[in-house]
Amino acid sequence: MMLAAFADPVFDSQRTFRELLQAMARPAAPRRLPVLPPSPAPITPAAMAILLTLCDATTTVWLQQPEQEAVRHLRFHAGLKLTEKPQDADFALITEPASMPPLESFSRGDLRYPDRSASLIVQVDGFRTDSGARFAGPGIRDTQTLAIDGLAEPFWQQRAALSTQLPLGIDLYFVTAQQVVALPRTTRWLES
Amino acid sequence: MTPSYNFAFLDEDTKRMLRRALLKAVAIPGYQVPFGSREMPLPYGWGTGGIQVTAALLGRDDILKVIDQGADDTTNAVNIRRFFARVAGVETTEHTVDASLIQTRHRIPETPLREDQILVFQVPEPEPLRTLEPREAETRTLHALADYGLMHVKLYEDIAQYGHIATSYDYPVLVDDRFLTSPSPIPKFDNPKLDRSPALMLFGAGREKRLYAIPPYTKVESLAFDDHPFEIQRWEHRCELCGSAESYLDEVIVDDRGSRMFVCSDTDFCGDRRAEAQA
Ligand SMILES: [Zn+2]
Repeated sequence: MMLAAFADPVFDSQRTFRELLQAMARPAAPRRLPVLPPSPAPITPAAMAILLTLCDATTTVWLQQPEQEAVRHLRFHAGLKLTEKPQDADFALITEPASMPPLESFSRGDLRYPDRSASLIVQVDGFRTDSGARFAGPGIRDTQTLAIDGLAEPFWQQRAALSTQLPLGIDLYFVTAQQVVALPRTTRWLES
Repeated sequence: MTPSYNFAFLDEDTKRMLRRALLKAVAIPGYQVPFGSREMPLPYGWGTGGIQVTAALLGRDDILKVIDQGADDTTNAVNIRRFFARVAGVETTEHTVDASLIQTRHRIPETPLREDQILVFQVPEPEPLRTLEPREAETRTLHALADYGLMHVKLYEDIAQYGHIATSYDYPVLVDDRFLTSPSPIPKFDNPKLDRSPALMLFGAGREKRLYAIPPYTKVESLAFDDHPFEIQRWEHRCELCGSAESYLDEVIVDDRGSRMFVCSDTDFCGDRRAEAQA
């Protein structure tokens, strides 16, 4: 028995996209995803909403945990191409952030085409906006405070190391059960 | 809504491709993302790039405003508005404050935009260096190296020749201290509105198949020199219809004897001011 995807594909993906666009335009600020489609483990409905909205037969996706049921579901509903090599991925889905590969395993684009870089969807435990690190950069008026639960410590060191390569970089979507936070490559982590 | 079209005309694969490109454009402010264009039912020059961006964004709850040179009632603006009313059934408006999505050619509205609004620009030539360097491979390299000496030389030659920078439209900007970017052929009067705008700004070039973005609250600097700072156009006149001294003015011919007057280019702004004055 295969789970369904978006009930109303045209409008569910449009509404999800608009939230993703606002999330990317206003980094480190959590936004609520409007549609949570059914999803086989270990992929959460929030991550599935992003995959269904953005991925199709022209995108290459790397799954950290390519469970058979999840693979079957994505191939059937999105027709996407899967890869075993992180460096080939347009999108990568991180379902176990504590054991994710280092960020530099993914494509950062090239200087003539920095857009040919990976977007990561990272399933995390939760967001807090009343404490945590302060972020600044395009899309943020002054600073934005955010803590992301469930990320391993080296992640932030790896991301800081990448920032020296701008405009090359990796763009991140973190998802909890219902929310998404984007951190584009340009968002700076301020020393607290 | 015409049922034989997909919602907002584009098929879902094309929308997804545009949406992926738009997200990368926002993530790399001012950088031109190439995309695979599809044929639109309007000729290039009618804003196909802007139309494709708008079509990728539009939802049932959007309220769309379309302006051409500041006016809602020109043929181009009316055609695009009707097109989306037909293929997406969306509500349209001429009032800046009521719009969730504004597609524009050659102006930014005078009324300050908000965080919950998106401005979509129609762009004929996305590459600010194109008149100086015709080869795409070369301009890509110049952007990769952030080597914008050519543009500085060009502006400085203006100063040598005219005593000031003669460029008054499509005046180049540096976005987030990194990418030299075309603001599209808006008057330089509008350039300051690009800087740290609360609204997201998206740019679509249909013929060149490129799109780019300026995220909200992003530094946008009009190129200048220490001894020749950036200046916007100013008029000795006020708008003869609403009396505004702050808006961008067009000189229009008002009768068959060739009489002229200066009026706001932003028709909605001007109309609102006149309505307020009468109330
Ligand atoms: Zn006026």
